[in-house]
Amino acid sequence: MINDDPDARDLVAIALRTFRETVLPAVPAEQRFAALMIASALGIAERELEAGTAKEPALAAAVGALLNEQGDLATLLPRLCASIDAGAFDAPDRQAALRPVLMEITRARLAVSNPKRLESGG
Amino acid sequence: MSGASGLSAERKDALERWLAGQADARGVTVTDEGRLSGGAISLNLAVTLDIDGGPLAGRHACVLRTGAPSGVSASLGKAEEAAVLRAVFDAGVAVPEPLFVGDDPAILGAPFYVMRRVGGVAAGHRMVKSEAPRRDLARKLGRQLGLIHSVRPGRADLGFLPTPAPSPALQLVADCRAWMGERAATDPVLALGLRWLTLNAPPAGELVLCHRDFRTGNYMVDGERLTAIIDWEFAGWSDPMEDIGWFCAACWRFGRPDREAGGIADRADFYAGYEEVSGRRVDPTAVAYWEAAGILRWAAVAVQQGERHSSGAEPSLELALTGRMLPEIEMDLLRHLDAVAEAGGHA
Repeated sequence: MINDDPDARDLVAIALRTFRETVLPAVPAEQRFAALMIASALGIAERELEAGTAKEPALAAAVGALLNEQGDLATLLPRLCASIDAGAFDAPDRQAALRPVLMEITRARLAVSNPKRLESGG
Repeated sequence: MSGASGLSAERKDALERWLAGQADARGVTVTDEGRLSGGAISLNLAVTLDIDGGPLAGRHACVLRTGAPSGVSASLGKAEEAAVLRAVFDAGVAVPEPLFVGDDPAILGAPFYVMRRVGGVAAGHRMVKSEAPRRDLARKLGRQLGLIHSVRPGRADLGFLPTPAPSPALQLVADCRAWMGERAATDPVLALGLRWLTLNAPPAGELVLCHRDFRTGNYMVDGERLTAIIDWEFAGWSDPMEDIGWFCAACWRFGRPDREAGGIADRADFYAGYEEVSGRRVDPTAVAYWEAAGILRWAAVAVQQGERHSSGAEPSLELALTGRMLPEIEMDLLRHLDAVAEAGGHA
């Protein structure tokens, strides 16, 4: 497919900026909640398009190391879930290895969905 | 219900006729005063009833509460919710009195009930905005929870509430797994949560009526006066520590993580009010377990809410954004499990 310019990320970004600067201030109180939700959704979409799949290889490597397997995230995550279910990570040393990897995966997702929560640590 | 604005003329007529019969009145006039915030599961409409004749003759400010087009699996039907409301009202809990229960969907298209309207605000972010901790409010909320937990199984009016088996904790794990569906097999934080809750589940103990969404945002305050505990659609028999854990869980502190009792005060005041009325000791280890359980249950509900949108059943930006709250809920869970491990309470 031909990639036209501006791309999806750029379009969402400028749509969000325009919405915030020119539409949001004029929105009546009854529609403000919906307007803020729109801004929030566009923000998530922009960050998701920006992030792409850049972090996936490192996360896949970390999950792969836990399982002693190789593959992409989409292949490895169901296997990790099955291993957790089966009790393969119940022992304290296995938990200690698992938790930081789960934290990294969650941080990567939170960076897209709600980066403020990442910064605040709260 | 007809859209967001309220009642169609046809439904208003049907409602007025039905209410007149229920109230043993010559006639009832319903004035529709618009939609109140009702959350993603229920619709709340402010209505004023003018009742001509009968025992309730006069003018009553009320709320008409109806279910949304598609619910989440955990929630009670509106007639059942009204029965719970009646039981806790009779137990002395601060709740709006339910007046009329319409369990016939033919009247308004879905079951509904009418309750008295209570003043005050519920918004969580406003509740936590105070310089000093709201110690008195926390104690009152503890007392209210003690009253709620005085309602026990074995009564016919609440016979529709299922008994958790083999224990409240393991029932919750099974429910969450079912609600998460495929997601539990692809999201390792959810898998860890389910596993941890299974391994650390407390044994079955006494069952009480739990609100199961007792938290900041679900009670109303008018000045310093606690006016009502609201949103009873998740109520059920469970371990009393479940409600305590949920009230204190990290996800309901509205930006005040330092005030562990719902973002409004320390746990001590909340626990003290609870112990005073319930005569039961708060068990911190059990509370820590139920905090984890509450966070995972909230994750399961978020998955379901997102699914209500994504499946096409009920396209809604609010539901879609709730689905995208999953990472922050999971972060709360991971941090909570780390804190519990550091405290040496569980594995």
